[in-house]
Amino acid sequence: MFSTTILGQVFLNGLSLSAIYVLIALGFTLLFGIMKVVNFAHGAFAMSGGYALYYLYGVLGWPYLPAILLSALFVATGALVLEFLVFRWFYQKMFQSMIGLLGLNIAMVFASVILFDVYERSIPPALDGVLQFGELVIPTDRLLVVAIAAVVLLVFWVFMSFSRYGLAMRAAAQDIEIAETQGIRTRQIYRLAFFIAIFMAALAGGIYAQIYALSPFMGDRPLTVAFIVVILGGMGSIPGAALGGVILGFGESFLSTFYGSAASSFVSFGVVIALLIVRPWGLLGTPE
Amino acid sequence: MVGPSSTTVESEPRPSTTPRSYFWPIAVLILAFLGGWPLFVPNQFLFTIGTFIVLNAIGATSLHLIIRTGHISLGHAAFMGVGAYCCVLAVTKFGLSPPLGLIIGMAGSGLLALLIGPVVLRLTGKYFVLVTFLLGEVIRMVFVEWISVTGGSNGISGVPPLHPLLASPMATYYVCLAASLFCVGLCARILSSEVGRTIDSVREAENVAECSGVPVIRLKVSIFVIACALVGLQGGLLAFFLRYIDPTSFSMVESLNLVVMNVIGGMYSLAGPLIGTIFIVALPELLRGYVELQRVFFGIILIVVMATFPGGMVDLFTRVRKIMASRNAGAVG
Repeated sequence: MFSTTILGQVFLNGLSLSAIYVLIALGFTLLFGIMKVVNFAHGAFAMSGGYALYYLYGVLGWPYLPAILLSALFVATGALVLEFLVFRWFYQKMFQSMIGLLGLNIAMVFASVILFDVYERSIPPALDGVLQFGELVIPTDRLLVVAIAAVVLLVFWVFMSFSRYGLAMRAAAQDIEIAETQGIRTRQIYRLAFFIAIFMAALAGGIYAQIYALSPFMGDRPLTVAFIVVILGGMGSIPGAALGGVILGFGESFLSTFYGSAASSFVSFGVVIALLIVRPWGLLGTPE
Repeated sequence: MVGPSSTTVESEPRPSTTPRSYFWPIAVLILAFLGGWPLFVPNQFLFTIGTFIVLNAIGATSLHLIIRTGHISLGHAAFMGVGAYCCVLAVTKFGLSPPLGLIIGMAGSGLLALLIGPVVLRLTGKYFVLVTFLLGEVIRMVFVEWISVTGGSNGISGVPPLHPLLASPMATYYVCLAASLFCVGLCARILSSEVGRTIDSVREAENVAECSGVPVIRLKVSIFVIACALVGLQGGLLAFFLRYIDPTSFSMVESLNLVVMNVIGGMYSLAGPLIGTIFIVALPELLRGYVELQRVFFGIILIVVMATFPGGMVDLFTRVRKIMASRNAGAVG
């Protein structure tokens, strides 16, 4: 059963899953690392990204690339209003943020039930060709998704590693008070981190909705994924989220192909529980 | 640290009951109301809501016990599910009598807590929250996937009533009320006893408590087991009340609801989860006409309460009372 063709498909599937998971988890871990906010509304933002892509690409018929980038941009810009109304009350208050943002999640999900409806919709694929290497069939659609995610992640990495704002964000994630005494304007950094996090969540949501289906309740799965990935990599650790996303993406692709999706869920949950008990700060996190 | 001690503005634990002079009259009034209203308003719909409220009060107060030790469990509804499934399986598959089934349900969830507790209760703060969240999901997945025993997503239907004479809505309400009073009373007794003081000391300063000779892990595990057994009782009663069970009744959403009841009401006194239960269960049921819109409002209320009164409604009441008191003092002086 482990023929190269199947393994190739599993690899490709794992690659596109990892791309989505890393995008979602990076935003989640960014919010947690810098603002100590547990964003229970992360899935709802992913869902908004899905609807934005649906209208821009599916209904208005824009070309795919601008549509997906602009839809994420729209959602992130709109989310800045929510940052002002909701999020800023919960910065550095981990527990209250959990419940408060759970409220935001409920409000957003049911608001979109009213705005749209509960029925599932589908977003047309960006490309419908396939590439064929021997027996390996690759839908170009998936390749495009992986490419977009890779580019966004690369830009994010460069931004975090080489720009002054990235440096400021990393400093704020390490110790917010020391960062403040060094003259970093934390309000600005918070807003920037929030914008980037929601942009990535919305982008991933668009891709997710396109691969699976779009509905107001589609955010649950991305939220669970974000939790698992972030625990796996270490809460608040950015490289940890990337590593965790890749591990979960490939692991899930492999296990669900050969042993079924139930087995894959049990294994991933079991591994994460074991990890939490033995090494609660995750693979790349730092112990408190 | 997520521990409640670090979450409110004023972290000082308040006495667990209203001042002594008011306590008994209020308690008698509430009891008289809970026991009396069905006699005057025999309404099927209100019975259903009433039963849900008294049942959820069990879950909320038992979770309150765990929260008082400084751990917030996001898997409490899963233990309710273990209780419910054990109870229903004992009755339908093994033909035991329903009251015996309830006891088996409690034993089942309590036993699971006894097995898991010593391992997970060593984790603190956010790690405990996360591990219980995942455990809850695993338990729910077992309900969904173990089709030969649990019936999968369809659940188990055809659960007999608790007793042929107790099948009417009013009787069910009274049975659940009695169970609920038992559980709330037990929690109140634990919290106001010496054990309750020890629990508070463990939450506020675990190391200090341990140095003064408190067996911290043993205490936490026993509280965890008691709380999970009580919520297992809720699960069993719920199964006899609804006459069927399925995995969605015990999902993460339900666990979160139980946490929200505690947080909205107030986490530092037993009155908090009770107020929270009424708020969370009754409000959505009474506004049934506009389901979506009222869910949106519900979400907004959660945000506003968390942003302005992190100590919950009990906190709001005490603040109002303080203001009144200072105004009175001003008038006298």
